[in-house]
Amino acid sequence: MALRLRNTRLTLRYEDDLRLFRSYHMRVAMAALVIGFALFPIVFNNDFWLSVLTFAGIYAIGAIGLNLLSGYTGQVSLGHAFFLGVGAYTAVWAGRNEVPFLAWLLLAAVVGGLLGAAIGPFALRLRGVYLVIITLGLVFVGLHLFRNWTSLTGGGAGTAVLAGVSIGPLDFNRLELLGSTFTRNQGWFWLVWALVAVAALLAKNMARTRPGRAMQAVRDRDVAASVIGVSLVRYKVAAFAVSSMYAAAAGGLLGTFRQFVAPQQWDLLLSIEFIAIIILGGLGTIFGAILGAVFIRGVGNLVEQFSHHLPFVAGTAAGDGVITVFALNQIIYGLLIILFLVFEPLGLAALWLRLKAYFKAWPFSY
Amino acid sequence: MHQLTRSLPGRLLAAMFALALLAAACGNGDDGDDTTQATPSPDATPGEPEPVPGFDGTTIRVGVVTPLSGPAAIIGLPLTAGNRVWFEHVNAQGGIAGRYRIEMVEADNQYIADETITQYNRIKSDVVMFAQILGTPPTQAVLPLLRQDNIVASPASLDADWVREQNLLPIGGPYQIQMINGADYYLRTEGSTDSVICAMIQDDPYGAAGLEGLEFAAGELGFEITTVARYTAGDQDFTGQLSQLRDNNCEAVFLVAIPSDSVRIWGAAATLGYAPRWLGQSPTWLTAFAGGDLAPYLEENLWIIAEGAEWGDESVPGMAEMIEHQEQYAPDQEPDIYFVFGYAQARAVTAVLERAVELGDLSREGIIAAMNDLDRLEFEGLSGDYPWGPPEERDPPRESSIFGVNADRPAGLEGLEINFASDAARAFEFD
Amino acid sequence: MTKFLQLLSSGVALGAIYALVCLGFVIIYKATGVINFAQGAFVVVGAFLVFNFTQTWGLPFYPSILLAMAVMAVIGVVVERLILRRMVGQPVFAVILVTFGLLIVMEHGANAIWGYTLLPVGDPWGLRTVALGDVMVRVIDLWRVTLGAVVLGAFFLFFRYSRMGVAMRATAFDAEAAIAQGISARRVFALSWAIAGVVAVVAGVLLAGGGRGVDVSLGFIALRALPAMILGGLDSPGGSVVGGLIIGVTEVMTAGYINPAYGDIVGQNFHVVMPYIVMILIMMVRPYGLFGTKEVVRI
Repeated sequence: MALRLRNTRLTLRYEDDLRLFRSYHMRVAMAALVIGFALFPIVFNNDFWLSVLTFAGIYAIGAIGLNLLSGYTGQVSLGHAFFLGVGAYTAVWAGRNEVPFLAWLLLAAVVGGLLGAAIGPFALRLRGVYLVIITLGLVFVGLHLFRNWTSLTGGGAGTAVLAGVSIGPLDFNRLELLGSTFTRNQGWFWLVWALVAVAALLAKNMARTRPGRAMQAVRDRDVAASVIGVSLVRYKVAAFAVSSMYAAAAGGLLGTFRQFVAPQQWDLLLSIEFIAIIILGGLGTIFGAILGAVFIRGVGNLVEQFSHHLPFVAGTAAGDGVITVFALNQIIYGLLIILFLVFEPLGLAALWLRLKAYFKAWPFSY
Repeated sequence: MHQLTRSLPGRLLAAMFALALLAAACGNGDDGDDTTQATPSPDATPGEPEPVPGFDGTTIRVGVVTPLSGPAAIIGLPLTAGNRVWFEHVNAQGGIAGRYRIEMVEADNQYIADETITQYNRIKSDVVMFAQILGTPPTQAVLPLLRQDNIVASPASLDADWVREQNLLPIGGPYQIQMINGADYYLRTEGSTDSVICAMIQDDPYGAAGLEGLEFAAGELGFEITTVARYTAGDQDFTGQLSQLRDNNCEAVFLVAIPSDSVRIWGAAATLGYAPRWLGQSPTWLTAFAGGDLAPYLEENLWIIAEGAEWGDESVPGMAEMIEHQEQYAPDQEPDIYFVFGYAQARAVTAVLERAVELGDLSREGIIAAMNDLDRLEFEGLSGDYPWGPPEERDPPRESSIFGVNADRPAGLEGLEINFASDAARAFEFD
Repeated sequence: MTKFLQLLSSGVALGAIYALVCLGFVIIYKATGVINFAQGAFVVVGAFLVFNFTQTWGLPFYPSILLAMAVMAVIGVVVERLILRRMVGQPVFAVILVTFGLLIVMEHGANAIWGYTLLPVGDPWGLRTVALGDVMVRVIDLWRVTLGAVVLGAFFLFFRYSRMGVAMRATAFDAEAAIAQGISARRVFALSWAIAGVVAVVAGVLLAGGGRGVDVSLGFIALRALPAMILGGLDSPGGSVVGGLIIGVTEVMTAGYINPAYGDIVGQNFHVVMPYIVMILIMMVRPYGLFGTKEVVRI
């Protein structure tokens, strides 16, 4: 055992701490994930679970952005739904003008980023809960805009999203690869989770380098950070811009996957869902944002699969039972959120790290 | 052994394996049978429909995606109960075509568009068609998927957009028709073309559809819409909108709203002493209003524009039959206009399925063919009959009914004029 | 002028309702530093309880309110005891999310018990009105304003003169120092949740009364009330009343004057965003609300 010390996960050099993938094992794990990603839609070609996971992936992209803002920089925002809407309507515009996929995705991110930067200055003036509620105002102003800008958004009636998702010869709506044709849900699963990987790597790269350290300094004590030379103006505004870029890209994907958007969709509940994702996943971790998105989008559906079998529950809206399965599903969902946070307030990522630490020191863990 | 359990890849593989088991377990659904692989029942004779997704040779399954929890369940629950009572009646007669039991697969979308897509994907391979998708936004959300999967759904929404859709089976006269007939009735009774006619609408597609009908009626019948007051769902106070209507001396106000808002709008109007003739579209009404504090004001000032007959009016054959079935299969059901809609909707679904069995094909393509093959959807007076056919031949019913408020009647509504179609409504074209 | 006064009276009454909802938010924020997202559900459950006592059990109206207050106080304490107490010292946003989970559980739990239809609370006010000159004032609006003032007054006296109230202020100011002085922080937290439950019954009855009835959508008012709370300052009961009045009057006046005249320019239903615009403008000038405590920023 002692001879293997060199290969264990003890960090020996400072550079190791800064690496994207810290160890050989991590690289192997990544390879396994890539294989799983490639095979999953083929092995489980089930439209329900593929669409659930595609939604989860899209939410994960937006949540990674929010986590950069809230988890790393400490600026909690309820305005995320607005930027998702901005991205979706960019996709609407792109669909009408036949802009290619990568171009509109980039455009959505840029538009979102510029608008996000414009919110930055508010964050310089306000803190904590007050900032939260101001960004909530943004959601309502956005809803008003979306409802009244009829030529673009279709007003309250909504509009179809026809933006394309082709990269070169690959059309992800109807993927033809190696002589096989894949369904829309399969194609989208690959597209979205590949984008999740790109988004996560970009974010991770930002978080582990100079800007990331500056952002965390702003989070922990912004006044102290500015005293030692971190520009608050620059990093708070940049954090808002980057987070909004992620949100707008996710919004564009969300609208395009759904193929139809209406203004009331970009409401406060959507913002709250994103906050829930990053808190449940674990603030200040990229990985947590992804776990949180899968949890929030997936757990309700899991509950649905099993709650039918409980004894006192009516399986249909008219059946005999103390409570219908539909009301019960919602109650269980709420209870899961509460229980989870009571037992692990730091989120899924913390749970994962704790498990990892446990096994790392095995059999001497305590 | 340590090496395997301790290494990260090992744990990840184990985790992935667990995840795969979970996904496999879920993928099979809780019914435990995969309908796509079901074998025909042994006594199947040639000419009977082949087993397809949603049909195992003996039982036909239809999907229902509707709000069964949350605030919108107040509409989703009675509507689904209406579906169920009709299908139970069909099953008591031996089932579709006297042979195949029909079963509903219910899914709760909480009236959220994204959730509708997820639930649609969850049950679509277990059903031959969707007997109900409630509301305009959820229907819009699944429409691209219906087209892609070639599945038929019946929307519980009176939007005019559905008329020409290959994959939809709408019933009832659209909101536009309700407004036109309401305007016609008003002008024939209390009002004249010189009356000050106004509207108060919820600012969304539902309100826009109502306003479109009223504007058409204005052109056809020769009156002017003086004022349109708008509000959004969730507004807490309506004094501003009501004083706008009163300042313009509105004598008749057409209201497009949902019950939790309409009750406060009428309540505020009553206390302000403002009493125009209110004409509310069918979704403004709840039976409970007839028993509340507002009842005297509403009896005096409100007409509801809806379809079909008064609850319990045995002179209408469809209603007499419905009451009989309701007393048998859902004796606790309170009188409710959404129940009637759901019941009528299930009749239309049954008509499509019976034809599909006749043609010997319950596949998705078979159901579309069967639907296009019908000449007319008939409701025996519960709703206007719907001349049917391929999408371009469909012609929504132009009949509406006007109800006054009367607390002594079962649903709180008393028929003033039943199932009439104005010339203006007949002139309205759907494209 | 009549129109103006009519709108003003409605705006003030709406503001009083906002203020009552906000007071529930403020009391918990002041004691624990948490925004309780479940406050809307407290309002809904409080009103459902009153329905249950007056209609199902046939009790008279006012005793029913007192009984509902007692039950809600117990629910508040139980929630604090079972859930929130375990969250003490945890990141504040995790606690806020817990209250969001609580909102889901309570709303759907209320639906499972009382169903989905509109139910009457059995209030004696109904649709009665009083004429003040040309202005018709609803009796329930007078109650809204009066009870809003009473609850605020009670808060003031409680915090100023009662032992427990002073203890709550001390705990809010510095929990550790308060504990060192022998104040039981646990009792303070439990009490603040109980008070929030009691205030929610008052808000719920005044919302559901006047012919409206109670269903889960009653809780939506909590979101509309947030700007009022922020405007007044999160930790100031007096501020939430002033904030409520400003937002209520702004909303009704915008619907009455700006919407009809300028709706085509500023967009339809401008009254929905106007409160937020007012809020944002005021916050730019006073970042801690009108009456909120300014945080001291240390390095």
